[in-house]
Amino acid sequence: MPDLHPAAARAGPLSAGGRGTYPRSLLEREPSLGLLLMLPGTLLLVIFMAYPFFLGLWLSLTDSMIGHAGRFVGLLNFVNLINDSIFRQTARNTFIYALVTVPFKLVLGLGLALVLNTRIPFRNAIRAGVLMPFIVPTALSSLGWLMLFDPIFSPFSWLLKHWGLITRNINFLGTPVLAIVSVMIANIWRGTPFFAITILAGLQAVPAELHDAAAIDGAGAWQRFWNVTVPIILGVMLVSTLFSIIMTFADFQLIYVLTKGGPANETHIFGTYAYQIGLSATAIGQGAAIALYMFPVLAALAILLLRYLRREVA
Amino acid sequence: MAKAQRGRRVRRPSKRSHGERSGREGALRISRRALLKVAGAGALGLTALGTVPGLWRWGGAAPAQLKGTSLSILQATYFIPTAQDLYKKQAAEWGQGQGVTVNTDFLNWPDLQPKISAAIQAGGYDIVELFPGWNYLYAENLLDLTDLADAVAKKGGGWEGFVANDIKVNGRYLGVSHGNSNDALNYRISWLKEVGVNLPDPAEQARTGKILDLTFDEWFALGKKLKAKGHPLGQALGHSQGDPPSFCYPYMWSNGAMEVEKDGKTVAFNKPMFVDAMKRFIQAYKDGFDESGPSWDDSSNNKAFHAGQLSMTLNGSSIYAVALKDFPEIAQDMNHTLIPKGPAGRFSLLGARTFAILKNSKNVAGAKEFLAWWFDDKQYGDWIHIQGGYQLPSTKKWAKDPMWGKDPKMYAFSLQPSIGRDQGWAGPPNAKSGLAFSKYIIVDTFAKAVQSGDAAGSIKWGADQLQAIYGG
Amino acid sequence: MVGSASMGRRILTVYVPLALFLVFLLLPFYWMIVVSLKPPTDLFNLRFNPFFIQHFTLKNYRYLFQETAFVVWAKNTLVVSVAATALALSCSVLIGYALARLRFPGGSAMGVGIFLAYLVPPTLLFLPLAQVVARLHLYNTYWALIFTYPTFLIPFGSWLLMGYFRTIPREIEECALIDGSSRLGTLFKIVLPLSLPGILSAAIFSFTLSWNEFLYALIFMSSGPLKTIPVGTVSDLIKADVLFWGPLMASALLGSVPIAVIYTFFVDHYVSGLTAGAVKG
Repeated sequence: MPDLHPAAARAGPLSAGGRGTYPRSLLEREPSLGLLLMLPGTLLLVIFMAYPFFLGLWLSLTDSMIGHAGRFVGLLNFVNLINDSIFRQTARNTFIYALVTVPFKLVLGLGLALVLNTRIPFRNAIRAGVLMPFIVPTALSSLGWLMLFDPIFSPFSWLLKHWGLITRNINFLGTPVLAIVSVMIANIWRGTPFFAITILAGLQAVPAELHDAAAIDGAGAWQRFWNVTVPIILGVMLVSTLFSIIMTFADFQLIYVLTKGGPANETHIFGTYAYQIGLSATAIGQGAAIALYMFPVLAALAILLLRYLRREVA
Repeated sequence: MAKAQRGRRVRRPSKRSHGERSGREGALRISRRALLKVAGAGALGLTALGTVPGLWRWGGAAPAQLKGTSLSILQATYFIPTAQDLYKKQAAEWGQGQGVTVNTDFLNWPDLQPKISAAIQAGGYDIVELFPGWNYLYAENLLDLTDLADAVAKKGGGWEGFVANDIKVNGRYLGVSHGNSNDALNYRISWLKEVGVNLPDPAEQARTGKILDLTFDEWFALGKKLKAKGHPLGQALGHSQGDPPSFCYPYMWSNGAMEVEKDGKTVAFNKPMFVDAMKRFIQAYKDGFDESGPSWDDSSNNKAFHAGQLSMTLNGSSIYAVALKDFPEIAQDMNHTLIPKGPAGRFSLLGARTFAILKNSKNVAGAKEFLAWWFDDKQYGDWIHIQGGYQLPSTKKWAKDPMWGKDPKMYAFSLQPSIGRDQGWAGPPNAKSGLAFSKYIIVDTFAKAVQSGDAAGSIKWGADQLQAIYGG
Repeated sequence: MVGSASMGRRILTVYVPLALFLVFLLLPFYWMIVVSLKPPTDLFNLRFNPFFIQHFTLKNYRYLFQETAFVVWAKNTLVVSVAATALALSCSVLIGYALARLRFPGGSAMGVGIFLAYLVPPTLLFLPLAQVVARLHLYNTYWALIFTYPTFLIPFGSWLLMGYFRTIPREIEECALIDGSSRLGTLFKIVLPLSLPGILSAAIFSFTLSWNEFLYALIFMSSGPLKTIPVGTVSDLIKADVLFWGPLMASALLGSVPIAVIYTFFVDHYVSGLTAGAVKG
């Protein structure tokens, strides 16, 4: 029986067309075919992403205001931000926000995927149902959370008071610690399904035979998980995690609706602060600098991770 | 959606039928006949003025060129749906008469700025509605409308103070003001009675002008008594651009502090009187307010008031308007008065909204024609009246309009224009004050004070932030 | 199923966690349902239990359909999402295959490069993008979104599919090539069918993100009837400082439940063990 281990699926050129037939058409040669296949997507990305991106990068190096082209000022915006106490607070908040929610989302998503991968009744309906937080537009679900976190009318406060467990309403979004915890809960709620569904599809690719073989060899459930399942879904987990880290650092809509970065900047993250400075105050150069502050770090992270993935996952 | 007025003869303001053409030279002149009409209208109500064609004949472009063009207008979604429908109808009416396709878009007002920014970069709108301070922010991309603005002001008996102080950018008008929404202290009559505040009937208050007159300290004392009975005061201190600044800025001004002096450079925030006042506010917040305020947005106090959770709160007449419809017992039991005063006076944060034309508009002539026509007494008047006082008019002649007399509970709002001033006082409401406003410096000072209990430290923080903006 | 799991064990390891997950993930939707079926005067009445409906009403749904252009918004959102997904998915399949199987100059760099697209937040990107969209005369048309959405759909989709393509044993393709199939032929006839779970995953991901999107829809396509559900809901059901909670939640529900129902049918097509089967046989 052929070796089914994914390590056998080597990246790189297939031993194609080798039996003496010289690959004539462009569509058969690897280099040209490769570039051709990359073309449509790349073209779209260049027009609608690369050009605006470089423009945005340029903006962060100027003192532009909306509708008022600025002069090149080098890294002045970035330097000034370091001296901005609100920015420092924003940076702290963003790191906490991302570094707490992403692991939660990963672990919960993995757990949910494992559960969904079993035989349960109404499996399809449940699988689609758990996607709901991901499906509902954030602009609208965050309004729902606004109600759930309402300082006077929250149903949670009502219930806890009804049961006599608390006497005063919970100010979910009004105290320094509780505010950021609340937005993190909403973020985890929204992000877990994404991890679950992508990991689930990855789990589908794990052949049952491998589990059978391992079980026959006496491996317990945990060992099977670590030695059979994880290696196969590692790639999916890594890409999803990277994606989630980037998206969480760039988050905007959820916090904007819930607190707009308040109270007193306690839930400001890069996205909301950049919006406030760049669009409300129209200092777009500074806003761009805030939005791009993490760019070098995230880019390095992305490059490392993706390089690793593109290589052999032995 | 706007309904086209088919078959109705639409007055075409561009018709040259009366000998009242002005401004071949480009300057506007008000015809004598029109002036007499204005004088004659007097106390009968200015709607009697009716349609006076050609009152605002905009010098220059011949109207025939407008046929076949299009005009795009961007505004904030109205609180009063009938007013929004009226505007759409008016725009369609004008468009039909001129042969112009008019498109009116309405967005939730916090979403206006990104849309305007994109329009400035890439086109798409001819006329945009600007909120207070935005004239300065987008100054380079707005058309100079000084002539039209002067004409509107002249016809209206002059701009209201809160408008005049607000919308000129370096001596030029970059938009024409249509006023702003109102704000006052909403209160529950019966609960005030319970703590010993007995007021005359609202109709009598409106007649005599003797409304509830409080200082902030008196208000705080009342709040303490009210909260003890389970009816606290309510004030938002979160990151919203509506309710939180409407309290914080006036409290600051009433207690001797402001963002900058008249020179627009010297920060005047950290003043001993203000620090003391802040200490009293911190205490009052615990004693008399619902303390979850730092997480409130603009809609929170509305909900709370309607649910009978608050006794007094600063807000526009939206609470009253919804109460009339959905909570009649509350509407019966509530009234309005002006914001309390402090040692340095009584102030309301009141800037002016304007309609402006973007420089990159592809239909400048059409935009000017439309604005000139819309600010005519008929259109503007209808629009003001249908809002019943929710929208404070921009020119002085509407101050004595009969609409104010219709509901005595709206009386206090009619007094608001006289105490209005905008962000950045005593400097201009420019990009720096806009930055301070967008960063919620003033509001956060209060939020920090209330959360930490440290008045001096919070004000120092605010002053440092302002210094970085104004001094840097 | 591997391992003889006793009922008790199953309850502990499967059903209890499942129940907890479902409560956590679906409670807000229960809340939305309740809010959408209550009259506005009941919503903030603290005497009533907020979790139950005291006075059932369909007024909010009626308002949504009669006073707003919800149906038009839904149509717009659907058109944009389907088209953007189709476009993005096509590009992603091609890119994913190229990155997984082919060696070509700049491949590594490009692969990483397209992912860097995510590092520029839309809150910054939309302004310069507006200029591009305007210059191409796409403003206020479906195309504005159909072309701009793939910018955040393609990178992740490509990487996802790359991962899937690589789990397919090369021997399968090599066999086909030896049998005379062309490269593209193996892609479309062999690889794609075997990658169905991955493709569906990428499709669901792309469709959902398109459906969900707010900022670009607000800026590039929000004139008159041309609004999407998120944009229209926020612009028409929030009037100054008053939110119409009932219709808002109704819109949120109607804007997500039908999608979930549709997904139920696609989720059906996840077939595991296809790979093993193909090679065995």
